[in-house]
Amino acid sequence: MRLRRFVALLSHESREILLARSLWLMAALMSMIVGYGFIQAVDLFSEASRAGLENRELARSLAVLDGVLVPTFGSLYVGITLLFPFVAIRALGHDKQSGALALALQLPVTTTEIVAAKAFAIGLAWLVAVVPAVGAVLIWRSVGGHIGAGELANLLLGHALYAWAVAGMSMLAAAIAETPSTAAIVALGFTLGFWVLDFAAASGVQEPLASLTPLSLTAGLRPFEHGVFSLPHALGMLTAGAALLMAAREWLPMYRSLRQKAVRLGIVALLALVGVTLAGGARVYRDVREDRHNSFNPSDEAALRQMRRGLVITVRLSPDDSRRKEFDENVLAKLRRLVPHFMVRYEARQVVIAGTQGDERYGLNTYDYAGRQTESRSTSPREILPILHELAGVKVSPVTVPDYPGHPLVANVHAWGWLFYVILPIGAALASSWTRRVHIRFTQAKEAL
Amino acid sequence: MTGRILTQKGNFRRVDPPTVGRVIMLMVKNLIKCYGDLRVFHDVSFHVSSREIVGIIGPNGSGKTTLIQCIAGLLPSDAGEIRVDGSPLSPEGRKVALFLMPDGVLPWSEQCVGQLIAFFREMYGVSGEQARDVIRHFELNPVLDRALVRLSKGYRRRVLLALALLTPQPVLALDEPFDGLDLRQSLSVMAFLREVARGGRGLLVAIHQLADAARICDRLVLLGAGRVVGLGTLKEVRDQARLGAKASLEDVFLALT
Repeated sequence: MRLRRFVALLSHESREILLARSLWLMAALMSMIVGYGFIQAVDLFSEASRAGLENRELARSLAVLDGVLVPTFGSLYVGITLLFPFVAIRALGHDKQSGALALALQLPVTTTEIVAAKAFAIGLAWLVAVVPAVGAVLIWRSVGGHIGAGELANLLLGHALYAWAVAGMSMLAAAIAETPSTAAIVALGFTLGFWVLDFAAASGVQEPLASLTPLSLTAGLRPFEHGVFSLPHALGMLTAGAALLMAAREWLPMYRSLRQKAVRLGIVALLALVGVTLAGGARVYRDVREDRHNSFNPSDEAALRQMRRGLVITVRLSPDDSRRKEFDENVLAKLRRLVPHFMVRYEARQVVIAGTQGDERYGLNTYDYAGRQTESRSTSPREILPILHELAGVKVSPVTVPDYPGHPLVANVHAWGWLFYVILPIGAALASSWTRRVHIRFTQAKEAL
Repeated sequence: MTGRILTQKGNFRRVDPPTVGRVIMLMVKNLIKCYGDLRVFHDVSFHVSSREIVGIIGPNGSGKTTLIQCIAGLLPSDAGEIRVDGSPLSPEGRKVALFLMPDGVLPWSEQCVGQLIAFFREMYGVSGEQARDVIRHFELNPVLDRALVRLSKGYRRRVLLALALLTPQPVLALDEPFDGLDLRQSLSVMAFLREVARGGRGLLVAIHQLADAARICDRLVLLGAGRVVGLGTLKEVRDQARLGAKASLEDVFLALT
């Protein structure tokens, strides 16, 4: 009986979201945004591929993940960030405004079941939103483009987790705010806050803001865009989304006073903090890229995993120095995933131009391991890895790894613009009207029975 | 008509209506609600028995809607308790004993009427016969395939009443159930509500139309200045207002509020 009621609730919430015009409007806009992103990405990739087809070395740097998939799904990210919250907010905000929530809370189902059913319906909305991106992938395949299944699956997982967290954020905003428009402003406020954190992370701000930068949802998506499956990030986003939904659930019961709701929200926030912290300890990472861009040579990685006595690197490069970015991406990010007890200290805050008066030690990075210390100005893994192996007192001989050939392709997908700019938006409009007609027919059939 | 009670475990238990007299189903004791310094109502106490219709009446702003929502657990109250079958019931447990159809709601308005009725049927395990009975009584057949949002005010009200009457809780609370209905429809709904009460349920209705209240309510809770200023049958509230047997509810209302 209880399961039957929950299934009825699921189908009720699914109908609600499929009958919402905002869903189909989002689908139409999403198609245009993703279509534009995809066509631009293929144009740029084709431009680079022309040279790559003549130069084997250049071809090796042409990865479809960076060239086509990430920009296409980047457009999906924009849509999910700016449009999806309106659909997610509607799922709850509309019920609040119309009085449906007062009835729903009296139904023989729990508040958890109500929130779960709404989350399920929002999941359906995400599936609708992701159609243009999936279409883009299929078009890319149809023109002869290469797709790495692992890369694509990992990227889709990252975007699904990101949407999950955005849905949680939107539901909480809808639960707290009196009207959907206020909820939309609250959700937009969160988004802007995350963007501020991203900007802060990129410009290397000082504490306490620096410690908040990993809390940005966009930061959670980044490893997946880089082709890394990161369990801490996946669990972190999963926990964040679940905690936000749980917070919405705690806020919904109307018999609770504002103080009771605030206390419960505090408890959920505390639990979420513990959950996210624990998720950070699940140090499981996989480089899913075909070009192994996120990995060192397997022998180096095996040796680095054995460095258990605490490696500390002091970086004397300012955040706006291009070498710092290169060092972060090519060395430090990989070491973070491999070395068990690894710490980075950033000391420089400003760029020091060579030949001018300033800190003479600028650019000189220090490596401390097991009481031994060495310094180097290099930011290249080719020079740094031998330094680390020497500190650890091991000799490492690299094993041979098959060369990544690259997947250059010159393609013209402009003709597919019709699909993204005309056919899919019209399809969304038709789907909006079709769901209503099917709904009516279904109702008639059901009553006839 | 037999009733069904939703148990704490979420299952329905079939109950027969009391065969002799009325049994107190819902007891409201010393209920208080304030918004900051503003006291909406104070020390409100009354009860609803099986087979009776209790009307909450009072001037605009007297707190009828707030009171009925506090009783249903849709608003927090500051003090007091609600007892069902003699035991206090927490706000989260109220839905086991009571269902409130609030005033001014337009729930799931894009969905067809038939679908909403089917949804309530599935939720409460209502039989097809009972659902058809409600549909027939409220003359909803012509609008079953229409979205609630596209119906007239009168139809909307009838749909909401139909949904409320599909619920099995022992006490049914209705906020302004006759708003938007013409006289003929009001009388028809009243007759149906009377039949429901005869079946064993207790009905609590908040009404601002005194003529409607006088027609349908067995007992009245008259709210004035945030307190219960009159309580009982029409005869009893007449006595409380020290008015003669010919005094109407309007006269009582004016005398007590």
